[in-house]
Amino acid sequence: MKYVIIGAGAAGISAAKTLLDFDEKNQIVLISEDEKAYSRCMLHFVIAGKRDIDTISFVDEKLFDSDRISWISGKKVTELIFVEREVVLEDKSHVSYDKLLIAAGANAVIPPIKGMEHSKNVFVLRNIGDANAIREVASFAKRAVIIGAGLVGLDAASALLSLGLEVTVVEMADRILSLQLDSYSASQYQRVMEDMGAVIYTGVSVVEVKQNRNGFVETVHLNNGAVLECDLVVTAAGVRPNTIFIPDNSLEMNRGIQVNDCMQTSIPDVFAAGDVTGITGIWPAATKQGKIAAYNMAGKDEHFDDYFSAKNAIHLFGIGTVAIGMPVAPDNSYVEAVWKNDAVYKKIIYKDGIVYGIILQNDVSRSGFWTRVIKEKWKINTSVKNIFDVTYADFFCINEEGEYTFRQQP
Amino acid sequence: MKRIMINKDLCYGCLSCSLACMAEHGKEKTTLYHLDLENKENSSRNFIALDSNNKPVPIFCRHCDEPECVDACISGAMTKDKNTGLVTYNQEKCASCYMCIMSCPYGVLKADDSARKIIMKCDFCGENSMPKCVESCPNQAIYLIEVNAI
Repeated sequence: MKYVIIGAGAAGISAAKTLLDFDEKNQIVLISEDEKAYSRCMLHFVIAGKRDIDTISFVDEKLFDSDRISWISGKKVTELIFVEREVVLEDKSHVSYDKLLIAAGANAVIPPIKGMEHSKNVFVLRNIGDANAIREVASFAKRAVIIGAGLVGLDAASALLSLGLEVTVVEMADRILSLQLDSYSASQYQRVMEDMGAVIYTGVSVVEVKQNRNGFVETVHLNNGAVLECDLVVTAAGVRPNTIFIPDNSLEMNRGIQVNDCMQTSIPDVFAAGDVTGITGIWPAATKQGKIAAYNMAGKDEHFDDYFSAKNAIHLFGIGTVAIGMPVAPDNSYVEAVWKNDAVYKKIIYKDGIVYGIILQNDVSRSGFWTRVIKEKWKINTSVKNIFDVTYADFFCINEEGEYTFRQQP
Repeated sequence: MKRIMINKDLCYGCLSCSLACMAEHGKEKTTLYHLDLENKENSSRNFIALDSNNKPVPIFCRHCDEPECVDACISGAMTKDKNTGLVTYNQEKCASCYMCIMSCPYGVLKADDSARKIIMKCDFCGENSMPKCVESCPNQAIYLIEVNAI
């Protein structure tokens, strides 16, 4: 059986590892546009010069020692011919498959702002090429504007501030990290960034950027009238599944490639996993989907069941935060319990014993059980115990194999 | 592979297991008698938590068959060793992103108490020896069992 995997990211590599473990006489061909496999979550370390392409690899090189796996790297897929079971690469070569996994990831979106196109100093941050280019320009640039204060935008801010640039961040929402954090926890990051010299605008948008005659953006114009002078722009405004090489009217699509719980697409023997499916954009989902796809490609019936994606771990500017579920209560039928001192902030949102969200800042120790509890909506008995003292001990159950399970609270 | 089995009814919360873990994993391996409890760099991988009846419950890394920490790890620092069955942590690769801490379904993981960059991950005290926590439990509330988990 010849398995072909498009993409060497979290999903593709996870699938390859899983297929190799099956110890069959299978043959695996990995195709990637990337020359090397690396963790996109660590690209800001490359910008800052703290790591390089090799030290942001998440893959054990021994994976490719097996003669059952080969890797066509640095080649883009340009076409899929499903009826022939063939993948066509940019060099016109064809790769045939028995089963295909599309794990082609997502691309950063450049917002349609006047003046952004064809400029020499506007970058997204998604690939190693972006990180290298930003680092290159940052070596002589003095002032950077970052559009978007989500996770990627703040990663970029962290790197550029560490390089000594003046950084201005522009965000449309009323606070930075608005999808993950509440006002207080967001303000802690903002304060530290401002102490490092960053300027942060919230509740504003960019209406236009103006290039000089050499194609370099020199000014960024906000809707509040402010004009920001800069020599480097990083835009972090979201991503879109990378589906450009999928022929029209072939696979069922939604946000990305439509799949079922087994990662099967609408065409038999064709699977998809990771960011290209548009299900969620988080790393653990990609890893698990890659595994599930591999199981099903090898004829084993396994189902993906971890659709809960509102979980974020942030460690920037010396502040660590874990944020799970909803960051802000939608109305006051929910209790927002806060525990706070000078350094630590904890907030739990719950109603009728069910926890809907938690933010833990500067004390994230031993907190992982909350991910499960919130995802499954298990009840906490708040009358017998302070909710901030809840641990896995309250759910403790162990089976004969020594595996933990969860005892439900009455 | 071996796994640490737990009989929580035998645990009376003496914390010898946690102290033994701290002593074993400090900058210089030492014993309970010489452990510097004021040094923040000494941190236990395991912990004892009180349940709603105020009874102590041992919470220890399971070296899970399907480890969430490994699935969540963006750097390749957390890996499952197919041969030993252990989930191992590579400090050099770790990006200190805290995804593993957030993902462990039992809340076993934490970062060190000093720079908060290193994950306190059970390593079974080296593959072949008896883990120090098990060795130090006066009541055999924790003990080794053999499981066929790979």
